[in-house]
Amino acid sequence: MTSYFLPRDLHPAAWWVWSLGLSVAATRTTNPWLLLTIVAVAGFVVVSRRSEAPWALAFRLYLALGAMIVVIRVGFRFVFGGAEGTTILLSLPEIPLPAWAAGIRLFGDVSAESLLSGLYDGLRLATMVICLGAANALANPKRLLKAMPPALYEVGTAVIVALSVFPQLAESVLRVRRARKLRGGSGKRLQVIHSIMIPILEDALSRSLQLAASMDSRGYGRAGLVEARHRLLTGTLMIIGLIGACVGIYATLDGSTPRYLAAPVLSAGLVIGLIGFRLAGRRVQRTRYRADRWHLPELVVAASGIGVAVVLFMTSLVDPANLNPSLIELSWPLLSWEPLAGVLIGVLPAFLTPAPEPPFATLEEVAAA
Amino acid sequence: MRTLAIAGAVTLLLGTAPAARAIDHSKGYPGFCKDDKGVTVVVDFQQLGGDAIVRCNPQTTAGSGLDAIKGAGFQIAGVQRWGEGFVCRIENKPGAADERCIDTPPAQAYWSYWHAANNCAWDYSQWGVKNRRFIPGGFEGWSFSLNATANSNPVPRIAAVRPGTENTPCTAVEEQKPVTDNPGEVQRPVQDTPPEAGHQATETPQPGAPTGALPPPKPRASASPKAKDPTGNIAFSGGENAEDVNAVVKRTSGASDYAPWAAGGAVLVLAVAGFFVARRRKRADG
Repeated sequence: MTSYFLPRDLHPAAWWVWSLGLSVAATRTTNPWLLLTIVAVAGFVVVSRRSEAPWALAFRLYLALGAMIVVIRVGFRFVFGGAEGTTILLSLPEIPLPAWAAGIRLFGDVSAESLLSGLYDGLRLATMVICLGAANALANPKRLLKAMPPALYEVGTAVIVALSVFPQLAESVLRVRRARKLRGGSGKRLQVIHSIMIPILEDALSRSLQLAASMDSRGYGRAGLVEARHRLLTGTLMIIGLIGACVGIYATLDGSTPRYLAAPVLSAGLVIGLIGFRLAGRRVQRTRYRADRWHLPELVVAASGIGVAVVLFMTSLVDPANLNPSLIELSWPLLSWEPLAGVLIGVLPAFLTPAPEPPFATLEEVAAA
Repeated sequence: MRTLAIAGAVTLLLGTAPAARAIDHSKGYPGFCKDDKGVTVVVDFQQLGGDAIVRCNPQTTAGSGLDAIKGAGFQIAGVQRWGEGFVCRIENKPGAADERCIDTPPAQAYWSYWHAANNCAWDYSQWGVKNRRFIPGGFEGWSFSLNATANSNPVPRIAAVRPGTENTPCTAVEEQKPVTDNPGEVQRPVQDTPPEAGHQATETPQPGAPTGALPPPKPRASASPKAKDPTGNIAFSGGENAEDVNAVVKRTSGASDYAPWAAGGAVLVLAVAGFFVARRRKRADG
């Protein structure tokens, strides 16, 4: 028990499972109370369990991105006809459109109901984005690459390079800003944005090239030993499998798609993908140096994320009205206890996991020895 | 433990959720309209059971059929695919167990949409609910059509006659052009319609069909038929005793008054705690 809380970095996949659980929960509801609680839960866990690594600084950017999504969603209700509903808040002059554009309305009346539906919808998307941001802030992308199954080795390399772009940009912003401060640079806000934009992009680009070069020199992406025909077969199988899985997951999560797209396509896609996995995995032989293992805290993290998703799935089967606030009549969105309690399960990792390893801990150890 | 409690709550909810019928009493008033300004909305449940409901929407400005039924205080639900352009459920009927209201309901079981001027016979609407303007002083009818064909669509069993105007003539109002031509907003298409099917037949394109414009309305019989004798009306109420719609939504969803406060409190507590944790960690790092 004493070793349970010893500071260490958790398995990155555990954090991803947790955050995907939260975002799946967010897809099931447009209730602003629940969505705000999910965001607060994700934020609190990030604040208390993120490491000092550069990717952990990106969470703020994701919050800003979420706010932007909400603003854009609501803004579009002003532009493209927001007159569903009876409580007209604002009467903008409508711009007449030619007959071929029938069905599209520019400006005109704006009702509270349509603004609210835009807000709820945007909040849901923003919450999902913020949950992914939480995973990016908590999970170490480099160790995630290490934990990839051999078959996903090539795809995984590309995905993880792509995933780490955003955190790297965040770090670039900080570095460039620090450098400017040291040089005593100040100025108007707009000017600052203009003057740090180029250095940031330049920095990120050169570091990507550096990363690519170093990965290349270490043998990543090597494919010379396998027959071209074999690679084509496994590649096709895996792509078909992944597309099937994506369509199946979409249909499972979205209640309005036909049911035959859900379970059958999902299972077929998974089977084809797994065959591809097996075939591809046979030819990639890699050993791992000190592989990450799943211990009890990792299981707690993953279980809490899955728990949130399961509770929201169950409650949405029972009372859809509660999770999608009705806009028949303007009123405060209702909420019952079960989904709220379910969402709060997600905060457990903030208390029941070891703190992240402090930076330079190993260096200090070496120095002390 | 928590999951057990949730499972218990779930079974409790499933066991007690009643088939709700609810009226928004702040809108419209029960019974027929008292003058020729508003529009009377008649909902005949047919095989779904229960007395018909007649309410008046006293709206004096022009509005669509959707405005009429909502303004009279009825509780409706559209389909997820088309929104309120296709009314799928009125007064929580048919229930969610029979009709999930995700895609357009089947032709065997749907709410048929009718209209009539005062003292005239009911007309099966040529257009969708958002595309018609209601007739001031007239009637809007909703009648559940179960296993009916184009010719046997059940007419609302309440005559379109305002009390006290039985002897006035029927002045038919010509069907107006649709307000929009969004193909998603048409009344359920009726297939296999014989060409001489009478004034109830409709020919509207399939929702989503790539037609540019809707066909013109069919010419009606020269002399508009008079309404039936109102003494043949079935039993109806004005929904006076029905519960308030928001109360029913609240009761059936098992919502609690305190849960939103708890959610707000949780958000606040987490934000404040996050702030302090962040500050502590910043200090610890120096």
